[in-house]
Amino acid sequence: MTALRRGVPDRVPWIENWIDIDLQVRLMAGRVDYDPGELCRRLGMSAFGHTYPSGKKTGPTLIQSLRDRKEAYYYPKTVDFDFTPPWIAETATDEEGRTHIRKGLLTSKDSLALFDEFLPDPDHKARYEQVARWIEQYREDFAVFARIRLGTINMLESLGIDRFAFMVFDEPDLVKEVHRRFSEWTARVVEHLNKMDFDFIWSADDMADNRGPWMSPEMYYEFFYPYQKMVADAIKKPWVFHSDGNLTPILDGLLSLGMSGIHPIQPEAMDISSVKRKYGHRVCILGNISVDKLSIGTPEEVENEVRERISSVGPGGGYIISSSNTLTSYMKTENVLAMAEAIKNYGKYPLPSTQPSR
Amino acid sequence: MAQEVKLFEDMRNAVMYGKRDALKELIQQAFKEGRPPMSMLEALVPAMHEVGDKYERGDFYLPQMMIAARAMSEGLALLKPHLAANQTKPKGKAVIGTVKGDYHDIGKNIVKMILEAGQFEVVDLGVDVSPEKFVAAVKEEKPRFVLMSALLTLTIANMEKTINALSEAGLREQVKVGVGGAPLSQRYADRIGGDFYGKDAPEALRKCEQLV
Repeated sequence: MTALRRGVPDRVPWIENWIDIDLQVRLMAGRVDYDPGELCRRLGMSAFGHTYPSGKKTGPTLIQSLRDRKEAYYYPKTVDFDFTPPWIAETATDEEGRTHIRKGLLTSKDSLALFDEFLPDPDHKARYEQVARWIEQYREDFAVFARIRLGTINMLESLGIDRFAFMVFDEPDLVKEVHRRFSEWTARVVEHLNKMDFDFIWSADDMADNRGPWMSPEMYYEFFYPYQKMVADAIKKPWVFHSDGNLTPILDGLLSLGMSGIHPIQPEAMDISSVKRKYGHRVCILGNISVDKLSIGTPEEVENEVRERISSVGPGGGYIISSSNTLTSYMKTENVLAMAEAIKNYGKYPLPSTQPSR
Repeated sequence: MAQEVKLFEDMRNAVMYGKRDALKELIQQAFKEGRPPMSMLEALVPAMHEVGDKYERGDFYLPQMMIAARAMSEGLALLKPHLAANQTKPKGKAVIGTVKGDYHDIGKNIVKMILEAGQFEVVDLGVDVSPEKFVAAVKEEKPRFVLMSALLTLTIANMEKTINALSEAGLREQVKVGVGGAPLSQRYADRIGGDFYGKDAPEALRKCEQLV
């Protein structure tokens, strides 16, 4: 939490937005019955907020009806701190259990009726009560975070990004209304989360690719900012904003939302050292160990990247190390463990010199 | 002459700024004035390159590029019935798909749209496309280009498998293989035996035009 407040902690903290269950189980030597704190200790992480297998075998769980989906949201069966709104979209699950979006269903003004069908009641008590019990049961000395979305990626995926691109011109009011409804739902959820014992909130929205945002700065302020601000203003705890891609053209606007930290500063799209230099006085920087290195690189390459990031971004505090997206099932276990070891070796303040160790 | 220059400039601007209704009116006006359809087509073609340039410079973003491509496609559709078969022949044919195990399609869809606006014929194989399906499509469609998209580091290995499958089927020399997606690079394209990497849709169009 010290780092998130731009202070200098005793060590560079490590936090991940999400860890695929399959990878978690491999890291825990095949076990599915571990507590969040056990996984944190295994890796040396400082916080948790993911979904855990909770003693159940992993594998795809296909929830068919919308009513069943709402019930699964209200009464989660596995340890989960997720409060993200569902996609209003046709989805499918592949053979490895990953859910993907086939197509957005918000195609017209009439389709707005789907909000009532898809979105759970944000005031339904059951999920909050269950998660509060989990926080109390598992917290130990770790920070616990809730996962939300500001509504942006929900709007984009529920319309379809290509349909969004046309609707900005063809039906601008519909685009705004869709974003408003998702953001309004999240703001209502946040009012409940504020009263719970979370240490911070992590908001995951994608709105850019390697080249830049999917909208011009003018479009950002008209179609996105008012609704993101609706949620940001509701949040009364420290919070982290996530988006992949090159956010540079809209970064000043984003930062005015008042987040405590920004993640991941995707290495293919932005330079994390420059962002720290320019914005480190305003916001904690989280990132950005390359998912490519963690997936197809070697442990030595991962170690070198961790050492380099800590030495270039860590000085002065206000830095939390993290992958450049999430820890996925297709990452090499040895690389994730190499990341853990390197953070332990190089992440103690005062930080080692920048000279390479070998 | 000056009148024609102004008319064609207005048509190009209508494409560039996605003004499809205005483009339709301008094309109809051009027909009324007896302007040759082929000269209209030649006047419109540079518009998509200008759109691509603006996108790459950061003057245009995704929505502006998409509505320009839409306007261009609708303009081409209006001209096509008035052009001889040899004048409307596509510049080339591509099969495009997101590789096996990957369901991200936005990049693929944008490339498809820009290529079609650039007068390429594009056969869309969808997402989660296996090497076998790419091979079958090449046999059936006989394209000049095989374009593969992937967003996950996990799935880019299937690009190399697809290229190998094309080689094993004796089809590799018949096609140019382009790859695209966030984890990709020209270096990766070279490593797996691809012909080019397209960092974005306008570059994919340029590479296809160069290699057709």
